[in-house]
Amino acid sequence: MPTAVITGASAGLGRALATALAERGWNLVLDARRPGRLLELAAELGRQTALRAVPGDVADAAHRRQLAGAAAEFGALNLLVNNASTLGPSPLPPLAALPAGELAAILHTNVVAPLALIQLALPALTATGGTVVNVSSDAAVAHYPGWGGYGSAKAALDHLTATLAEENPQLRWYSFDPGDMRTEMHQAAFPGEDISDRPEPESVLPALLRLIEQRLPSGRYTNTAPELLAAAAGQAVAR
Amino acid sequence: MTLHAPAGTAPSTHFDLPVDLTATEPPEHRGLGRDGVRLLVAEAASAPSAPGVRLAHSRFRDLGRYLRPGDLVVVNTSQTVAGEVDGVLAETGRPVVLHVATPTGPLPDGSWVLELRTAPDATRPLLDCQPGTVVRLAADVAVRLLAPYPEPADTGSGTRLWRAEVTGGRPLPDLLVRHGRPISYGYLHGRWPLADYQTVFGRHPGSAEMPSAGRPFSAELVTDLVSRGIGFASITLHTGVSSQEAGETPQAERFEVPAGTARLVNATRLDGGRVIAVGTTVTRALESAAGADGWLAPAQGWTELVIGPDHPARVVTGLITGLHNPDASHLLLVESIAGAEVTQRAYDAAVAAGYLWHEFGDSCLLLGARR
Repeated sequence: MPTAVITGASAGLGRALATALAERGWNLVLDARRPGRLLELAAELGRQTALRAVPGDVADAAHRRQLAGAAAEFGALNLLVNNASTLGPSPLPPLAALPAGELAAILHTNVVAPLALIQLALPALTATGGTVVNVSSDAAVAHYPGWGGYGSAKAALDHLTATLAEENPQLRWYSFDPGDMRTEMHQAAFPGEDISDRPEPESVLPALLRLIEQRLPSGRYTNTAPELLAAAAGQAVAR
Repeated sequence: MTLHAPAGTAPSTHFDLPVDLTATEPPEHRGLGRDGVRLLVAEAASAPSAPGVRLAHSRFRDLGRYLRPGDLVVVNTSQTVAGEVDGVLAETGRPVVLHVATPTGPLPDGSWVLELRTAPDATRPLLDCQPGTVVRLAADVAVRLLAPYPEPADTGSGTRLWRAEVTGGRPLPDLLVRHGRPISYGYLHGRWPLADYQTVFGRHPGSAEMPSAGRPFSAELVTDLVSRGIGFASITLHTGVSSQEAGETPQAERFEVPAGTARLVNATRLDGGRVIAVGTTVTRALESAAGADGWLAPAQGWTELVIGPDHPARVVTGLITGLHNPDASHLLLVESIAGAEVTQRAYDAAVAAGYLWHEFGDSCLLLGARR
């Protein structure tokens, strides 16, 4: 069975993806900062597949080594999903009021940590010709007041992803922009506002799973990318 | 058997206690090894798309066939001590049997918890005692009833458990060691030595009644399970006397969850393994040591935790238990781990297949589906 490492797995898109891959029998290495939520998820998914849940912060180098070590226990690594990220202060301040220390922390969690984890996992991923998904945002390409810190980090992550694809063409490298979702992070961006009109994270799973399973060319994909929709139509016709 | 809808804090599981299925002596006296008793396995089907309950009838020595490498079995290291002793009511000279729920030491407030039952076989509780009642024991030791325990203790049918003070020339634990015998109830044939009331895990004296879920384990079975890659960890919880009457809440009990056990339980859960509690005592101890987020930390002290709808089990995912009186608190705990459907199906199957009840009887492994 293939093995995946998913960061930020206890909620939102990470949890939805972990659940979907568990149903498909993938071995899972899961990360989240809050141990309680991770324990619940492990009990649920442990009934379906083999997993290692490792509580901790991806910004912590020792924790990243634990994740790579847990993946090594499964013998091979096929997929790394850098899904954990931080929005920074809530409510989102304009750049004029974003403390430099906060920006450094956003960049550390959203850019430095994913690259560091990729570096640790690269030998194992190279051995399988594996896939890396870095979860991005439309804030990486569009410019919204208040989203400057987070958006610049996601833009940098996109840039790293594209460069890694040039440097390591034997792997698949994806920036995946899932669009707005009804998640805790999105709620933190709009504190006190009703976000119930946003779709559930499960709604973007079909697109994300197609990206992973069909080994499309490396690049940046949104959840409504024609390749992902066309692939679905093709599948339907093939049946 | 009928399956009742959950209502308030009443368990949904319902069954009629089969009197003729009582195990009246230890299995060794029925020609069986400890691990030769029957094992009923009831497991919620794992696929959410195909709900249901899987049942299997087996022997306890084959437990390993139903566990997986990476599962953690948690056992209670409490040893049973003699908690039953004869006495007479000072006022009338009437013989009585005393059950001491705190046989190795008093509550933190210095009082002892006692139950008075009928002589000679402790068949029924004496429910009409009054505060101030004095019971004379051997060696000039006497106990005086102070107040119902816990307060208020009116079950609607009299007071069963009492706080009491002890007077005389010898500490009560010493008297019990010398003159006491294991607590037993009227349904047993004959009296059995204290050794029959020990589990292979017992190391720390203190339980008034045997933590009986661990009794079917033998050293050979533990070796088999360890060799299969199944882990073991231990807690200590000293039992009081069982809640015989419906509606009584479980008493406070002394427990300890060591640091090593807390670490093993957390690690097992993070690896998707199951935490199998051997008995309600282990369940109570583990759940008492769980933080608000379900993370287990070392803990010791007295616990009054009652597991049920108001405080569901969060740590324990499987339970090994004997078959006991259908009292509400026991069934609510079992349902909290296994779910109402698994619990009802298990009890129905146990009754239909003639499983033996009580502390020397057969056993169940109940594995629940997590929400």
